[in-house]
Amino acid sequence: MLKCVYASALVACLALPGIAFSEDLDSLTPEQLLPLAQKEGSVTVFSLSSRIARIEAAFEAAYPGIDLIGVDMSSTKQIARVEAEQQAGVHAVDVLYIADTPVVFTKLVEAKRVVNYVPPRVADELEDRYKAPLLTQRLSTKVLMYNEKAFPDGSPVTNLWQLTEPEWQGRVLMVDPSQRGELLDLLTEIALHPDEMAAAYKAQYGKDIEVEDGLEGAGEQFIKALFENDLILLPNSDVLNKSIGDVNAKNPPVGFGTYSDRRDNEKEGWALQVANNVEPANGILFPAVLTIADKAPHPAAARLLIDFMFGDDTPTGGPGFEPFNVPGDYAVRKAIADHPDSVKLGELKAWTIDPAKTAAARGRIADLIITLQ
Amino acid sequence: MTSTSLSVPSGRRLLRSGFLLPALLIAIVAVLVVAPLLRILLSTLTPEGLEAWQAVLASRLSANLWWRPLLNTMILGFCVAGGCLLMGGFLAWLVVLTDVPGRRFLALMATLPYMIPSFAAALAWGTLFRNSRLGGSAGFFETNGLAIPDWLAWGLIPTAIVLIAHYYSLAYTIIAAALSSVGADLVEAGQMAGARRPRIFFGIILPVVTPALVAAASLTFAGAVSNFAAPALLGLPVRMQTLSTRLFGMIETGQNERGFVIALLLIAVSALFLFLSDRIVSGRKAFITVTGKGGRTKRFPLGGWRWPLFALAVLIGFATTVLPVLVLAASSLAPQSGALFSNWTLHFWIGEGGGQMAQGQAGIFRNPVLLDALWTTIRLGLVVAFTTMLLGLALAYTIVQRRGSLIATVLSQLAFLPLLIPSIAFAAAYIALYGAPIGPLPSLYGTFALLVIAASAHNLPFAVQSGRSVLGQISADIEESARLTGASLVRRLFAIIFPLAIRGLFAGAILVFVKMVRDLSLVVLLFTATSPVLSMVAYRYAAEGFMQFANAITLVILVVCLAASFLAHGLQNRVQKWKET
Repeated sequence: MLKCVYASALVACLALPGIAFSEDLDSLTPEQLLPLAQKEGSVTVFSLSSRIARIEAAFEAAYPGIDLIGVDMSSTKQIARVEAEQQAGVHAVDVLYIADTPVVFTKLVEAKRVVNYVPPRVADELEDRYKAPLLTQRLSTKVLMYNEKAFPDGSPVTNLWQLTEPEWQGRVLMVDPSQRGELLDLLTEIALHPDEMAAAYKAQYGKDIEVEDGLEGAGEQFIKALFENDLILLPNSDVLNKSIGDVNAKNPPVGFGTYSDRRDNEKEGWALQVANNVEPANGILFPAVLTIADKAPHPAAARLLIDFMFGDDTPTGGPGFEPFNVPGDYAVRKAIADHPDSVKLGELKAWTIDPAKTAAARGRIADLIITLQ
Repeated sequence: MTSTSLSVPSGRRLLRSGFLLPALLIAIVAVLVVAPLLRILLSTLTPEGLEAWQAVLASRLSANLWWRPLLNTMILGFCVAGGCLLMGGFLAWLVVLTDVPGRRFLALMATLPYMIPSFAAALAWGTLFRNSRLGGSAGFFETNGLAIPDWLAWGLIPTAIVLIAHYYSLAYTIIAAALSSVGADLVEAGQMAGARRPRIFFGIILPVVTPALVAAASLTFAGAVSNFAAPALLGLPVRMQTLSTRLFGMIETGQNERGFVIALLLIAVSALFLFLSDRIVSGRKAFITVTGKGGRTKRFPLGGWRWPLFALAVLIGFATTVLPVLVLAASSLAPQSGALFSNWTLHFWIGEGGGQMAQGQAGIFRNPVLLDALWTTIRLGLVVAFTTMLLGLALAYTIVQRRGSLIATVLSQLAFLPLLIPSIAFAAAYIALYGAPIGPLPSLYGTFALLVIAASAHNLPFAVQSGRSVLGQISADIEESARLTGASLVRRLFAIIFPLAIRGLFAGAILVFVKMVRDLSLVVLLFTATSPVLSMVAYRYAAEGFMQFANAITLVILVVCLAASFLAHGLQNRVQKWKET
């Protein structure tokens, strides 16, 4: 164990002079990065997904001589660990594969604990909003899901405001947004679209919405109405999927869940389906990002790995992206085709969150939902 | 060394043996507990932190953020501590002091629940009592036509019941260790003086084990207020928040300062209760029962109550042990988590990969990482249990020796707190404090040593509480005789204190081992080795949605814990040969 530490400390010392050149590293092609990365010998990545194990095998096969050390850890723990390590002057991790981008934005980007890097190979394929302030690798969802067996004619909900009516009282589920960042981001996004929420209100009831004192906009009014309509909060998405999706359910509830969980329908006996035809939107798309830790000990290998995790030019993305290419999640590269079994990215009626805007607004929404509990 | 300590003047001798150990311990506790705690406190004194104090204590949020969760938490804490004392105490009395049949079997059942993760008990509750509030498939009772009201399916009552079912074995372990040192001579003296059975129980046995009862109550209280799984699974659907769910949520949504403020306040409130209970114990006379003479245990004949009480104990064991294990086992065999008792398959244990099942993943026994992880886990558990007990023994010894003094109060308070510090904050503080080299000391970042140190500190309360409850009963005579013959402190510890207190110490060691083998947060933040521990493997499976594999690993962890407890039991019988009758 100690040997490992000394070795990494040694490598860190050797790599220090390299940091001055990291600006230049940003413009190198994978072919140019490879010899530098091989000299560095290894790369450490914290990953929100345990599928990093499959990336490890593929990466080491593609680039022999570079040892990939993958540690899977939730986004919250990654942030805590990077903050603590850098306060102690330890720079041991190279790449973070992380979600929870509003928190990453405030705690890591603004504090300059990570540096953004866009691989030149794929830069032209990406929309600008996916390139800064953080590099998005793929998009995941928190959208309205329903039971397609119990509602064979399509989603029983076509306007978010219907969820605040007596018919859906105690029948809308959600993982507690004061427990999980993505759900807080979802409510924040709703609050960030007051005009669209007001228009949807008018479409549903034929009259203009009146917003109470103390609330800002139709979005916050919706959040309050949703909680007052006995919104049921859950500890995790397992419970949520079971409750909404059960194929034998008679009159199942609806709820905000993850579109890609639909892939487990057959295995688990669920009938989960996304409610796409919903005014003004059915939920959010939120990014999983790849970023390089400040003073990363293996700067070239870190860049090579990020490049690798954007996949090759085949429609599935090849071994570098395939593990993450599941129906219901979306690649941001245009060359990688959306999964044939799912709604196309362009047709999904979800808002895509902007980490910086969400970060600025979510404190207020977090306070709002605490008062509503 | 021994001859010099006898020849030096009494003043210096006092300095050597009397102050060296406490001073050293205070230094250790300061480094291990006070420093991280201070760091967390300091992080709440920044501008954001001060805002958080205000938001928690004095704003429109405080009612839902602090006061109501506090009320829920305290109700849970006291109910669980009370329930655990009753259940654990009853079983300990039955097993140790009566002639109930099947004592070994009952003892085994009573130690198991703590080794089963509390989420399993919560799931078991759901399997039986779940009602239609969430949709999906209802529990056993509703399916069979018995409507379950919300208060029985969700919220405070089921959470308290589940937590009692989980933590009573902690109380059992500590109380049983103390009861076994109530010698037959005491009881027989009472009988000869004509005392009736209730008199003996309330007049002799209960006072003697009071320190153990207080220790058990403190630990179960701490366990209940810091437990996350049960209140989250059973409380959130009716919007019941406890301080632990609030704390978890605050940290999980990036509002760390608020989370830390809640943690610090929880620590303060719990410390107050501990202080009061300490006063109760130290304000009364201590009873010395372990005298070094043959400590036979006197067993009461139960007469006609033998079998009814046996049945009751078995019923408790069944509900709290067999049921959760059954649910765990079933969920490691059932392909669909919604239908636990159909289409069972061994695929998740031994199946070959590549087929249709589980997206081609092979069973856990075909996972090449498993053996590695098993070994790392056991090694970690043993090392941490050992270091924690060593430190805990020294602390408990000092606290008991100086009962009632300021130093004892301070040490016992500090040694109790780590259990209440959220592990993520604890681990982060450790990295930030000891990740950098300090003076001549090298950086501990990423070393096994840092993990062991942090884990020992985090689990200290188990060792100290269980240690002092037994140490308090050991007669000072034996030790004084040893001291007069010139035995050094270390010698006295290992030749006298350790063998006499071994039941209590091992009880604590088992609790530490179990906690360490199951706990994920501390390990995942402090460990950098490539060979993971079992809980990390389980987390990986669970994160990918394969609860069957995760539950199979949980069962493996249970078996490891059980084996460790058997080993400890065997060892303590070998050391305490005089106990054999």
